[in-house]
Amino acid sequence: MATDYDVEFVEREDREARFLVRGVTPAFANGIRRAMVADVPTMAVDTVRFIENSSVMFDEQIALRLGLVPLTTPPEGEFVEDDTVTLSIDVQGPATAYSGDLVSSDDLVQPADENVPIIQLKDDQRLEAEADAIMNHGKNHAKHQGGVAVGYRHLQRVEVVGDLDEFEEQESQIVRGVVEDDGELVPTSEFDHDLANRYPGKEVRLEDVPEAFVFHVETDGSFTVDELVTRAADSIIDRATELEDAVQL
Amino acid sequence: MSYKCSRCKRDVELDEYGGVRCPYCGHRVLLKERSRDVKEVGVN
Repeated sequence: MATDYDVEFVEREDREARFLVRGVTPAFANGIRRAMVADVPTMAVDTVRFIENSSVMFDEQIALRLGLVPLTTPPEGEFVEDDTVTLSIDVQGPATAYSGDLVSSDDLVQPADENVPIIQLKDDQRLEAEADAIMNHGKNHAKHQGGVAVGYRHLQRVEVVGDLDEFEEQESQIVRGVVEDDGELVPTSEFDHDLANRYPGKEVRLEDVPEAFVFHVETDGSFTVDELVTRAADSIIDRATELEDAVQL
Repeated sequence: MSYKCSRCKRDVELDEYGGVRCPYCGHRVLLKERSRDVKEVGVN
């Protein structure tokens, strides 16, 4: 049983987006959010072989930092689980080792950002290591989370109820997210999150629009927001099918 | 076991008879060098 959902983008960039979904229950909205955080596999460094580390930090500390560097995740089907991609780093001090110094054996798996500092090296210090990246889920380790700032709010409808009394001072009314005004979607940042700025001298009423949620999604750079959301939806389909097969409905 | 003298920075081999002392400069502070083999660390 496939259902179509009405999806409308409010802001859309590669790594960050805000979109409105209509016709979903709160449970389903939360299911999507959780799938984006925990169930979309991404690449991350899992083991590190240190050839030389004369820096001031322990191997384990540097390994953890390498693990937290976001790596681009190859398109689905390009990669099977248990495959590894090796990234190597070789930096001689005095210098700062950045994520951009990692050299990958696979073009599809690269550091998502070049400017993540790993460690500062002083004179005669050197960091030489090989790191193996694997694909895994966010529920196993936070380094595999593709969606890093994922949340949703009810869409709120603004209604002008009437005018304020002539000498009544207007109180600020703070809202965050996206409001619907006569069918038009307005991010609250446009009026500094204060309805008093948008409707001076008016009395307004706010109410939640049922079954309409505004998602705000930000990825760590592993893939684009579009990719993250579609993969999250796919993961829900996979698990639902698995459940259906298991209970033989 | 290979050590490095902290004063003259030379490599020092210690045996069980000589005691802890640099044979070149007599300094008694020796530093143990990191082994050269590759160390594998998991990211947890």
